[in-house]
Amino acid sequence: MFITSNPFAGLAQFGITPGMMQIFVILAIIAVVAGILLDVAHKKSAKYFFEHTERMKKLATRQLSSSEKTSMLVQVILNEVLTSSEFHNPKRRIAHLLKMYGFIIFVVSSAVLIFFYPTEQYAGFWGLMWRVGAIMLAVGGWWFFTKLRVDVLSEGKKWYKLARADMFIVSLLGVSTFGLLWCFFQGVVGSTALALLFFALFLISAVVLFGGVYWSKFGHMFFKPAAAYQKRILMADGSRENLPPFYKRAEVLDQSTMDLVRDIPADQKFGLCIMKDEPNHY
Amino acid sequence: MPTFVYMTRCDGCGYCVDICPSDIMHIDTTWRRAYNIEPDMCWECYSCVKACPMHAIDVRGYADFCPLGHAVRVHRDEEEGIIAWRIKFRSGRIKDLVAPITTKPWGKYIPDLKQVPAPTKEQRESQLLFNEPKYIRLDDGDLYTLESQGLKMRQGVYY
Amino acid sequence: MAYKTIVVDDIDILVVGAGLSGTGAAWEARYWGQDKKIVIAEKANIYRSGAVAMGLYAINCYMGTRFGENNPEDHVRYARNDLMGMVREDLLFDMARHVDSTVHQFEEWGLPIMRDPETGTYQREGKWQIMIHGESYKPIVAMAAMKSADKVYNRICVTHLLMDEAKENRVAGAVGFNVRTGDFYVFRSKTVIVTAGGASMIYKPRSTGEGAGRVWYAPWSSGSAYGLLIQAGAKMTQMENRIVLARFKDGYGPVGAYFLHLKTYTQNGLGEEYESHWYDELKKMVGEYIDHHPVPTCLRNHALIREVLAGRGPIHMVTMHSFQDPHLEEVGWHNFLGMTVGQAVLWASTDLDPKCENPELTTSEPYVMGSHATACGAWCSGPEDVSPPEYFWGYNRMTTVHGLFGAGDACGGTPHAFSSGSFTEGRLAAKAACQYIDDGKAEGIVVSDRQIEELREKIYKPLENYKIWNNEVVAGDVNPTILYPKQGLIRMQKIMDEYCGGVSMQYMTNEKLLNIGLKKLAILREDMEMLAARDLHELLRCWELHHRVLTSEAVMHHTLFRKETRWPGYYYRGDHLYLDDENWHVLTVSRRDPKTGEWTMEKAPLYHIVGDVEEEYQKKKAAKS
Repeated sequence: MFITSNPFAGLAQFGITPGMMQIFVILAIIAVVAGILLDVAHKKSAKYFFEHTERMKKLATRQLSSSEKTSMLVQVILNEVLTSSEFHNPKRRIAHLLKMYGFIIFVVSSAVLIFFYPTEQYAGFWGLMWRVGAIMLAVGGWWFFTKLRVDVLSEGKKWYKLARADMFIVSLLGVSTFGLLWCFFQGVVGSTALALLFFALFLISAVVLFGGVYWSKFGHMFFKPAAAYQKRILMADGSRENLPPFYKRAEVLDQSTMDLVRDIPADQKFGLCIMKDEPNHY
Repeated sequence: MPTFVYMTRCDGCGYCVDICPSDIMHIDTTWRRAYNIEPDMCWECYSCVKACPMHAIDVRGYADFCPLGHAVRVHRDEEEGIIAWRIKFRSGRIKDLVAPITTKPWGKYIPDLKQVPAPTKEQRESQLLFNEPKYIRLDDGDLYTLESQGLKMRQGVYY
Repeated sequence: MAYKTIVVDDIDILVVGAGLSGTGAAWEARYWGQDKKIVIAEKANIYRSGAVAMGLYAINCYMGTRFGENNPEDHVRYARNDLMGMVREDLLFDMARHVDSTVHQFEEWGLPIMRDPETGTYQREGKWQIMIHGESYKPIVAMAAMKSADKVYNRICVTHLLMDEAKENRVAGAVGFNVRTGDFYVFRSKTVIVTAGGASMIYKPRSTGEGAGRVWYAPWSSGSAYGLLIQAGAKMTQMENRIVLARFKDGYGPVGAYFLHLKTYTQNGLGEEYESHWYDELKKMVGEYIDHHPVPTCLRNHALIREVLAGRGPIHMVTMHSFQDPHLEEVGWHNFLGMTVGQAVLWASTDLDPKCENPELTTSEPYVMGSHATACGAWCSGPEDVSPPEYFWGYNRMTTVHGLFGAGDACGGTPHAFSSGSFTEGRLAAKAACQYIDDGKAEGIVVSDRQIEELREKIYKPLENYKIWNNEVVAGDVNPTILYPKQGLIRMQKIMDEYCGGVSMQYMTNEKLLNIGLKKLAILREDMEMLAARDLHELLRCWELHHRVLTSEAVMHHTLFRKETRWPGYYYRGDHLYLDDENWHVLTVSRRDPKTGEWTMEKAPLYHIVGDVEEEYQKKKAAKS
């Protein structure tokens, strides 16, 4: 079956052995870990993170029990991590979920293919998953890149204008899109040159993706959940990052400022005003 | 520097870029998160602070005259129709305030003037505006004129 | 340059700038022009643009005839008194007789207007002011404008008006660029209502670092109301009448509610009442005007300025008494949070608790605008049933350019309009603009491609200048050939400050200084041919600067022309240190010839509404003498 073919098996014809691929995967993992550690150490971001947490702790009005903290950790995993709940814009949330799960499926299936099926032409489920992951990543990625990316959506820039912040998304687009093209042309007779070209582009993208962690937004995968957890803790322990309570109208009707709205049913919602539109007024 | 954006809170959604009246909230090219590109053109109007769904934007008072260690933070809730403020003084003292921001569902009671009966020729030739004279006093009285008020315009009169 | 040209054709009414007066214009235009094409061009995002972006805690212009409180003529008397007589009473009367209908509609739309719990009337802050929870004042009126307009073009910086080539002195639309995409926009329109903003940052500010942003009037009020009209050759009036505000020091937080509602008061550094110290001096300078009630704002400023110069500063606002009442204290804080959050930030950062400590007051750098306690703006026609012949040429709020209307800051001679009055002026202008079209006055407008092409080239020149001349230097902002907008802004501010009565000169100037200042401004304008913009944001700043500099020129010319000190406390002509009613009980009117750039000045007669109050006053005065 064409859609379960194993793209990596075809690399032998370019003289790339399974061992080389496996070494590449291991190097990639090392590069990611090294990039993150270097980032944390060099920018002292972890130090900031903990000192900030300490400072905020002083403003706490109550002590959180360890079971509360555990439950918050679970909440972060269920909400922010697994379902990208922090996104206000539902389109961005969907795109992010596509990218995230696509990336995970893509990376895991790549590793499985490389380590367990390095020479088999057809790899059944994992061959299929490799495509599914790549397609999800490409669809979410291109949607984000051309439409939802804030530079395009709010700044009004052309989608092809690139900045350093795009290194991560562009390398993701590269591995998914070039990977799919490379895979496609492997199956087309007489397209060896094209397959080689797209494989080369795929390889470059992968090197940038995993080798560029220190310079790219790759690290947000690790930093964002930590920040989300910290935010939940701070909101619960009363320090609230100095934010006021998020009252419901009914809770504050006794305030003298609320005279004018006291007779409005407590459950009546006013709908949205500024926040109903997407942020692209230009 | 008037408004600033917390690195770990911003997710680059663009609401601040979109709302800033001074065109100074923009997207950083390294992190794709927002920042204030021109602090000395920031009025501390809080338009971006209130529009940020992540509460990622805060204000550090103007360095010219504001010591550090304070916070004035806000949560504006359109659905509930209220705004809540917390003022944290340098000393750590906290003051919470809350106020309504609307009394009606947003926009629902603004008439569509294309749909209301068209003005008559007399209305066009009069000094009246839409809904006048009724809305001037919410009674049957007419628009004020010099005559109705027993007034004249006279050149160069001192008073 | 790859920017597209986007032409918006067949517009009937183009509203330039969607602050309070612009939203009023767009909203009302739909009623009188149900089939007309109404388009708004706004520099920012209409939800939060203009001076009310931050919100307001009071509506400062409400008659309350419904509650038997004030009549329109009372407001005219109040405003002319505050402006030392120099107002357009026809325009003021007209605004005042309509303003309540505006406010009643705001309430209907959902704006929270406070009520007096005992009487059920609107909660008064002072005689003219009512208190609101106005955090969302601007979004609410924006929704009204959006409902009426065919289309709102946000983030369009309008740089120039288009002029008709078939008929002299007739407007034909406007051009500008999109601050996001950079595209060039051409609006071909039968009428244009300029409702852009007055001018902050004309004068060197007291705070010169980040704090420069904490101006009293919004930093985005770039004088476009004046720049656009002056470029089109419209006559301007009372441009010398800049305003200086006595406000809380540094934060420039509002004092209206503090004086009027919270009953706080001022004292000098010795704890004394000080205004009376300057009564005799002011009596000599302005004569009987010092005896008016309430004492005109400028004269109270004068006392504050002189008291500090006499070494008895600082001036304090005594809050410690009133703020013992927790309700009043809360009102005080809400007042800031509702319209000048920065003042709350300042007090939080300095640990200032107004219950325990009296905050300082100061006088600000001057501002040029036309809707607060000052009257700069275009020379506009009044309404037919009120205006004398010199003030009337067919269409209410029409400038001296046909089809070009002004409201809010753009309309001269109408101080104390504030938010509600500006919205009302927009409504009045919109009705008149519809009438103008219906009368067939906008037929046969011709705009050549050449006019548009020339403007296009001019608009983008700063980007081009940067691209070319940045090659000259290794890096950095210092370049012998080009000038960045911030550099130009600071130069203009310094000129205005030192030659046209800014804060470091204690508001003093004279003929010699003004003539030097004009020369320096002319040279600045020459240099501005080489303004450079690195990106679209800076291009926006370049055009804001153009509008500000034109405004500054107007201020200089008017200040030079009026050979008296009409408003001590706003500015002083050192060579004419006295109010001179013999020669200057007139309005000043200017015009800059768009072709030559030459300014001409003239005096226009001042009309006063005469009613029983005046006559009684005249009688009393006669009896006294």
